[in-house]
Amino acid sequence: MSGLRTVNTEGVDAMFRAISNLAALRLGRPAMQNEVIDELLAGRLDRRAFLRHGSRVGLSMAVMAAAMKTVGFEPIGEARAEGGQPGGTMRIALIAPSGKIDPVTVSDQYGLLVLQQVGDFLVLDGPDLVLKPMLATEWTPNDDGTVWTFKLRENVKFHDGKTMTADDVVASINRLADPANGSNALSAFKGVLSKDGAKKVDDLTVEFHLDAPNGNFPYYLSSDNYNAIILPADYSGDFEMHMVGTGPFKLDKYTPKVGASFVKNPNYWDGAPLLDRVELSFYNDQQPQVLALLGGQVDVIQQVTVQGSQSLFNNPAVEIIRLPSNAHREIHMKCQSGPFKDKRVRQAMALTLDRPRLIQGLFRGMAELGNDSPFAPIFPSTDKTVEQRAKDIDKAKQLMADAGTTGFDVTFTTMQIQELPALASLIKNAAAEIGINVTLKIEDSGAYYGSAVPGKSDWLDSEFGMTDYGHRGIPNVFLTAPLKSDGTWNAANFQNSDYDKLVTDYVAAIELKAQQEIAGKIQRLLLEETPIIYPYFYDYLTAASPKVKNMQPTAMGQLFLQKATVG
Amino acid sequence: MSATAEGIETPEGEAAPAGPAIRAERSTLGILLRSPAFLIGAGIVLFWAFCAAFAPAFVPYDPLADDLLNTLAPPSAEHWFGTDQIGRDVFSRVLVGARDILTIAPLATLLGTALGTAVGLVMGYFGGWVDAIIGRLIEVLLSLPLIIVALMVLVALGPATPTVIIVVGLVFTPLVARTVRAAVLSERHLDYVPAAAVRGEGALHVMFVEILPNIWPPIIVEATVRLGYAIFTIASLSFLGFGVQPPSPDWGLAIAENYGVLVGGFWWTVVPATVATASLVVGVNLVAEGLQRALAE
Repeated sequence: MSGLRTVNTEGVDAMFRAISNLAALRLGRPAMQNEVIDELLAGRLDRRAFLRHGSRVGLSMAVMAAAMKTVGFEPIGEARAEGGQPGGTMRIALIAPSGKIDPVTVSDQYGLLVLQQVGDFLVLDGPDLVLKPMLATEWTPNDDGTVWTFKLRENVKFHDGKTMTADDVVASINRLADPANGSNALSAFKGVLSKDGAKKVDDLTVEFHLDAPNGNFPYYLSSDNYNAIILPADYSGDFEMHMVGTGPFKLDKYTPKVGASFVKNPNYWDGAPLLDRVELSFYNDQQPQVLALLGGQVDVIQQVTVQGSQSLFNNPAVEIIRLPSNAHREIHMKCQSGPFKDKRVRQAMALTLDRPRLIQGLFRGMAELGNDSPFAPIFPSTDKTVEQRAKDIDKAKQLMADAGTTGFDVTFTTMQIQELPALASLIKNAAAEIGINVTLKIEDSGAYYGSAVPGKSDWLDSEFGMTDYGHRGIPNVFLTAPLKSDGTWNAANFQNSDYDKLVTDYVAAIELKAQQEIAGKIQRLLLEETPIIYPYFYDYLTAASPKVKNMQPTAMGQLFLQKATVG
Repeated sequence: MSATAEGIETPEGEAAPAGPAIRAERSTLGILLRSPAFLIGAGIVLFWAFCAAFAPAFVPYDPLADDLLNTLAPPSAEHWFGTDQIGRDVFSRVLVGARDILTIAPLATLLGTALGTAVGLVMGYFGGWVDAIIGRLIEVLLSLPLIIVALMVLVALGPATPTVIIVVGLVFTPLVARTVRAAVLSERHLDYVPAAAVRGEGALHVMFVEILPNIWPPIIVEATVRLGYAIFTIASLSFLGFGVQPPSPDWGLAIAENYGVLVGGFWWTVVPATVATASLVVGVNLVAEGLQRALAE
């Protein structure tokens, strides 16, 4: 979308007024924030990208609204859906979380749903990937993005009545960044924020001193980093018993493997929730959840897959809430040894897949095409000018011939979850077209991941395999862990120093334009090398009864219920 | 059950001793051919055996070929049993799907019967403390749920067809051994056994050359009964993801892959494989029952 719209004379006057207002707003702002405003004025950002990037560098909604008015974009309007009756209980079905519910260690989308009912983040990353203030009211970077300053909301109370201060924030974030605690957030914080990187300035101001420049740091403290709920500074690890946070709901009862119930927090800083209670019921499988929703025993299923919930589609008694996401499958091929050592063979394999058909057949169209890099269409930094890879058997056969092979036998290892076995069968058929004879090994996810270290993990040891990756707010983890030479999840054993350097530059880049430029280079390099096939990015689907109103899911798996109703 | 040294009483009805073998053989065939149950059972089993052997040659579609633009299509003239989640023809898959189960189940049964017969012969022939110790071990094994034992081994070794055959065979060994032991006990005191010993034959010769030919009827019956259970066990293992690997059209696997869409009303992805499994088990059991009756007379 281009920026400036044609305006009539009255409009021009209004525009000049707006621009002079804007000039006043710009005064005294850090360079990084003004760059985003400039990008908007120059027509390089559309409304959505501007909101997203403005929020990232800490522009307030008021400043962004003023700036958008200048270029004639719609002002920011809160989408007010028709609300239902306050009161009542919302009943939510989800898979039982694995392991203990502890904000430090929770590692799945089921545990995070529990955390998020009772806790708040500094920043909220909504379904549109636009950051919004939560416990932090504003955030600003220094000029090179190495120090970020967060202002905290006043008078926020924990469930035990104490007031939240900078001490609690510093303790909560440092707890996650300290390797001694084995936190699940370490995979995100590695190389970004080290132990004691969070420092108190005053009671309502915290500074984060980063390990390296990072233009996207607020995402690391947002709901994307789902462990990062703010806890009291003296939190001692007994979360399942008390669950003291600042969130809209307070714990009533938690029973491992069975469920949890919550009551509304009447003193919530953003106003008391409309619901009286929230009940989570844990299930082992999708089918019973589907039956429970159809039978009226629950109001919401946290996530449904297209495979398992065919009965819910086109059913007037069920609403499917569809969120674009960058959750995906990575099909890795070993780059240093075995039959895929030659990159032409890897390219050939990638050319056998008919991606639009995969999306149609496996997801009823509810997914986006993958182009063999983690840059999903949803990321604003993705360079959309890079040519999309499409099925081309002739070219694939030619590449195989150039690589001096007519085909070979190989085992494809993956997990027995969701559509993976079906996709594995489709990959086998596709590979057969160019003479690659695939034997499938579909195993339980425990057996697949093994100990998650090379030598003791089918995931990391297999020559050819497939792994699932959940949604992230920014592509950084996708770019580093499975692809950098020293990446801990590098199942493809991809070693490329050019790539490593580009990723370091990408992470440090602050301006969107710079990010897009480096992203384009990374996308082209990965298309050429093809260590991993990314066939698609599938949508996050939540199912709910039509009487559920104003529930806000995210593609991470959170369900924000403060404004929600059930009747 | 009493726990004396001679402890394990004849455990199952079908272990009843049969008369002299030669006379039994002639009349057995006659009885079998006059038994409608046996004939129906044999018909079903032969039908599936025929499919297992030749179905790939005559089914209308390649059972592995996907068609992503025609997934979950209901039964029609084009696809008699509809299509599955990736558009494969269910009719073709069910017919060809007999192949895996009818390879694995008989091999597992054969293994279990061979090992069980050997163990049973040793127990029955030697008696005394050998019998007591092995007998107690068997009791321990039998007290564990079959499918759980099989699952544990498969989790440890990883799913693979040879592993499934061995695991199911081993799990069946004690069951067969018990039956064979009972049969040996009733033969051991007949004159020909001490006579062979007096001739100076070794224990192995007496067990396998003298006794074994006289106790085959209960072994045959036991093996047939086991075959029915093997089909069921292997289908269950495939259903749980520890048996045959995709993209095989194996029935247990087909049920596992598709039961998730059953609630959506796509019954044709699951029902044919279920009916096929059930019919094969019933067929084998009818054969077993026919054999048992015929051999008992």
